[in-house]
Amino acid sequence: MSASQSAVRSRAEAVAVSRTFDWMILFTLFFVVLGGYHIHYMLTGGDWDFWADWKDRRLWVTVAPIVSITFPAAVQACLWWRYRLPVGATLCVLGLLLGEWINRYLNFWGWTYFPVNFCFPSNLMPGAILLDTILLLGGSMTLTAVVGGLAWGLVFYPGNWPIIAPLHVPVEYNGMMFTLADLQGYHYVRTGTPEYIRMVEKGTLRTFGKDVAPVSAFFSGFVSIIIYFLWHFFGKWFAKTDFISDDEL
Amino acid sequence: MKLIKDKVAKLSFVALLVTMTAAIFYTPTASAHGEKSQAAFMRMRTIHWFDLNWSKEEVAVNDTMTISGKFHVFAGWPETVDKPEVSFLNIGIPGPVFIRAGSWIGGQLVPRSVSLELGQTYDFKVLLKARRPGEWHVHTMMNVQGGGPVIGPGKWVTITGSMGQFTNPLVTLTGQTIDLETYALDNIYFWHAIWYAIGVAWLLFWAKRPMFIPRHIAVSSGKASSLISAGDKKVGTAFALGTVLILGVTMGTTNEKYPVTTPLQAGLMRGIKWIEMPAPTVDVKVEDATYRVPGRAMQMTLTITNNGDSAVRLGEFNTAAVRFLDPDVLEDESGYPDDLLAEEGLTVSDNSPLAPGETRTVNVTASDAAWEVYRLADLIYDPDSRFAGLLFFFDEDGNRQMVMVDAPLIPSFI
Repeated sequence: MSASQSAVRSRAEAVAVSRTFDWMILFTLFFVVLGGYHIHYMLTGGDWDFWADWKDRRLWVTVAPIVSITFPAAVQACLWWRYRLPVGATLCVLGLLLGEWINRYLNFWGWTYFPVNFCFPSNLMPGAILLDTILLLGGSMTLTAVVGGLAWGLVFYPGNWPIIAPLHVPVEYNGMMFTLADLQGYHYVRTGTPEYIRMVEKGTLRTFGKDVAPVSAFFSGFVSIIIYFLWHFFGKWFAKTDFISDDEL
Repeated sequence: MKLIKDKVAKLSFVALLVTMTAAIFYTPTASAHGEKSQAAFMRMRTIHWFDLNWSKEEVAVNDTMTISGKFHVFAGWPETVDKPEVSFLNIGIPGPVFIRAGSWIGGQLVPRSVSLELGQTYDFKVLLKARRPGEWHVHTMMNVQGGGPVIGPGKWVTITGSMGQFTNPLVTLTGQTIDLETYALDNIYFWHAIWYAIGVAWLLFWAKRPMFIPRHIAVSSGKASSLISAGDKKVGTAFALGTVLILGVTMGTTNEKYPVTTPLQAGLMRGIKWIEMPAPTVDVKVEDATYRVPGRAMQMTLTITNNGDSAVRLGEFNTAAVRFLDPDVLEDESGYPDDLLAEEGLTVSDNSPLAPGETRTVNVTASDAAWEVYRLADLIYDPDSRFAGLLFFFDEDGNRQMVMVDAPLIPSFI
């Protein structure tokens, strides 16, 4: 077969090869994103995502969306501008959650015996669905950044509340009040994570009384907009083929 | 020749693979806590643990044991370590093999960080409930913000039974009885599974059609708009509205199911009570101190003045949790860890009773392999070559006085 001949002999064969290629790319992309996004999120979100007693209504709500909108924005840029596929954010979050669950179950529970109800990951899926559907419906990067980025921050807490609410039920223990999540942090000893490292309930939002989660979520959403723009450009830049010469294309 | 080289290279590669594969089957237990690696001055000049007691050496799953004792916060705290204004009484164990059922300093429950005062002595107690069977090294530990963990002495404790039997029952303030070990686990799995399934459905909706090559060709040829149909947008709208709807409904149902929730509790605890120690009537001045590297011994010249009303003798020098005892004065009956106990490690040139009002200059030698084993000899490489420790004097009735010593240390290499 010479270089000028086609590798396939019929349209049906071309379609079959194309589909095989689709699944190979999707599989590879999924696990590459899983690895990269997981490492990124562990390094930036870290303890806020690891432990139930870090999942508070101020800093977790603020930090987790801001540091997690990165890869979804970049992968969306690549898949949308190159393929018109509005699945970048969902693909990222599916990969991240699979990686996190494997890590939490096999490492946190399987190796070090922290109960899963203490070290489960945050749920980012509602924000991912909204980010992808807004991109699909608007077809605009700016709209997705502004509306989707804001939504990413806003829906984070409601998306996680059904999961964490049972752990915020109060309990009296040795004359002090704890939430059950606090008590998990106290009971299940983390030698390298003393209590003072825990960055929860810090800040100056006291004038909002007990209703600080929506304020934190709005702030998180605003910053997520900026981070979305930034990482969307990263994704667009990485999806370029300028570094491959025309002869090779 | 080339053939031989190729074969050697191939066999070497195979041997490397075999070795790497075999290595995964060797997984020894990591049971220590790096206590020997911590800089010697950190252990000598920060928190001094003493009068320690591990209530049990063997405990069954679900049973409890305590570690109790005292710690002195050294007044000459090193400049290179942040002061213990934010500290946390921790426990050095390999993960949650016990749960910390309670911890107290000065009788106050301390689930949060505390502020400690330099120069004061505190009593403490940690209540542990056995969870995971095995033989574990259980350390006292104080985490200091800006200073790191200050690990105290450790003792081996065996947990028997089965982890499957472990329970952690609690009654919440809403009257619900729960087992914290498994509480809300089904709820966590359920919601994660639901949302994951929604995400997979969205991905499959797009993956069921040709994805990369045909779509790339279409985008490249300016036909990108043909790739998104009105039907796609309807499905997208349904997913978006469905997501918002689920969020709204589940927020409402969750709030109905858990009407009473509180924010995470946090904050620094100040005003922890220390022990009102009587002022020592024994005065000690360190004239000089040397560490003899070849002999693994520290020698001090002390001028001791007894200002009390009964004769005293020096019985113990305690530094970095290693106890050097003069057996003529003191024998340990607390079951202190052997490797940290030099039962005959303290020699005093004249340890006859020091009468009230008397002043005497003596040479004191603290020698034991522990200097080397616990890497305290590395003190000579520390940035601030000083030593510190507790001296315990005893009168005829067994009454004890504690005196801090803190002085420069000169190494001797010959």
